[in-house]
Amino acid sequence: MEREREMREIVRVRGLHAGYDEEEILHDISLTALAGDVTVILGASGCGKTTLLKHLIRLYVPSRGSIELFGREITTMDEPEFDELLQQVGVLFQNGALLNSISVAENVAIPLEQHTTLPPELIARLVHTKLRLVEMDQALDKRPAELSGGMRKRAALARAIILDPPLLFCDEPSAGLDPTTSAGLDYLLLKLRDELGMSMVIVTHVVASIKRIADRCIFMDQGEVLFSGTLKEAESSGLEKIERFFREG
Amino acid sequence: MLRIVLTGDTLSLAGVLSREEAGRALTDIRGRLAASAPGRMHLDLSGLERIDSAGVAMIDQLRQELQARGLEAELTRVPAQVSEALKLFSAPAAPAPTPQVRESLFYRVGDAAVKAAHTAWIMLYLIADTLYFAVVGLFNRRGIRKGEFINQSILIGVNALPIVALISFLIGFILALQSAAQLRQFGAAIYVADLIAIAMTREMGPLITAILFAGRSGSAIAAELATMGVTEETDALRSMGLNPTRYVLVPKFYAITLTMPLLTVLSIIIGIGGAMVIGYSYLGIGPKPFYQEVMTVLFFRDILTGLIKSVVFAWIIALVGAYYGFSARGGSEDVGRVTTAAVVASIFWVILADSLLGLVFYFGQGLEY
Repeated sequence: MEREREMREIVRVRGLHAGYDEEEILHDISLTALAGDVTVILGASGCGKTTLLKHLIRLYVPSRGSIELFGREITTMDEPEFDELLQQVGVLFQNGALLNSISVAENVAIPLEQHTTLPPELIARLVHTKLRLVEMDQALDKRPAELSGGMRKRAALARAIILDPPLLFCDEPSAGLDPTTSAGLDYLLLKLRDELGMSMVIVTHVVASIKRIADRCIFMDQGEVLFSGTLKEAESSGLEKIERFFREG
Repeated sequence: MLRIVLTGDTLSLAGVLSREEAGRALTDIRGRLAASAPGRMHLDLSGLERIDSAGVAMIDQLRQELQARGLEAELTRVPAQVSEALKLFSAPAAPAPTPQVRESLFYRVGDAAVKAAHTAWIMLYLIADTLYFAVVGLFNRRGIRKGEFINQSILIGVNALPIVALISFLIGFILALQSAAQLRQFGAAIYVADLIAIAMTREMGPLITAILFAGRSGSAIAAELATMGVTEETDALRSMGLNPTRYVLVPKFYAITLTMPLLTVLSIIIGIGGAMVIGYSYLGIGPKPFYQEVMTVLFFRDILTGLIKSVVFAWIIALVGAYYGFSARGGSEDVGRVTTAAVVASIFWVILADSLLGLVFYFGQGLEY
């Protein structure tokens, strides 16, 4: 049983300490995310969720601790090896992070142009396929500035999944979206999990979204992991902070 | 690894069809089917162990190309896993990009004229607004952030002092060096003082300061206002009942109007100082005779000319920067675009204004000017 669980661990963090300058933000974080699951990192604003996510994709370097993706330690991995590994990882940033100076289609094509030898006609077809999957194929030639917040997120999601990554990280996918659009994006993420078998680690504090998508929850508070388990276990954990989060969130 | 076998009218694909293989496979199959006659073609996928979205795109592309040549490609013996991927990723061809329609010359000239008129109208609006709020602000400080004038005067003026001083010294130094080499041939070395005094006071002092201000402050004004627009800060100000021109621009307008003439005077003095160094070291003219020569050639109207120019240039830099800053639309890339455009336009308008003012002062006061 334990062995089977270890085999399914796609993200594994042990004893992570991290911060900015002298200030420590994350204290002794340990967590795991399993393959095929949607793992949600939740907690109040400022608890260190986004900082943790940025460490998981090595945008920040921890002061100590271990981070493994697909069973490989990334904190000590050299740059070319990590770049290779990143092709198995998609990242959806909070504001989409599309490049404003180029069209949506050009944005989505970037990973294909940089990491594959596919000819232009296949790249165009793939871009169209992925934008169609997120229902954005009508916006191929539009600039990101011409899109609404929800559309930008969906276009950014198409870019994040363009290489069919087995692991997707999302930072606050519901942030700034109305409930309907937010729910639409959640169902789209679930569709990707179910149909592509994609594993996801999602940072969010939106309770409705958590209830829709979470297989497992990691509750953070003041830079520490307060709870880790299923959504049902979280709701009945008896921990006052977690119960209040779900009640008032 | 992907294996491709062509037997009669059947093309078999076996192994893994992923993004690493798709491009090469498409080229390979195109070559093998180049001579095929129209008819029916079977794509046997039974040997495919795995396929990703790039593989599906390759099959779609291949079928489309064959169809265009009258070859109907039928997928046969599709494994369940491959079938699911085909269902999920198969898509019609990406629409061809809309061709750019080249408008006629008359249309383009007319369009440019309309845009220029619109720009002029917006600019006039901005000038009127700024001047109105600048005058009103002298008597009523409501709607202007407290302490902002001092803050902006430090940012725009005081912080520019070292670079204005250094560049002015070097310009005065170089001008004196170049002119001394010519004038000393005629025994007229002392006139270096006259030349530099007049050039620095009427032209170079205001112009050097203005160009440095356009690069430092004009770009900063444009970038700040553009960023505020992109991040909805100007909308937020409006929603709080504050006019962005009055709240953000007017303090900068006051600051640049005050500091630019002061720095222009500094530039003139230091530029003449630079020339004095050449006079002393290269021409053997002591500081005292150099100073006396400068004072004999300079009149109050020369200094006034320089100061009037500096105020006009200051207003151009502030207003052009503000125009471009407020005109930013879209995302972060527009901030860079308008900032660059503001600097280039400021320098152009400053030099144009300098030429016009030069003509006005020259013909307005007689040729002895």
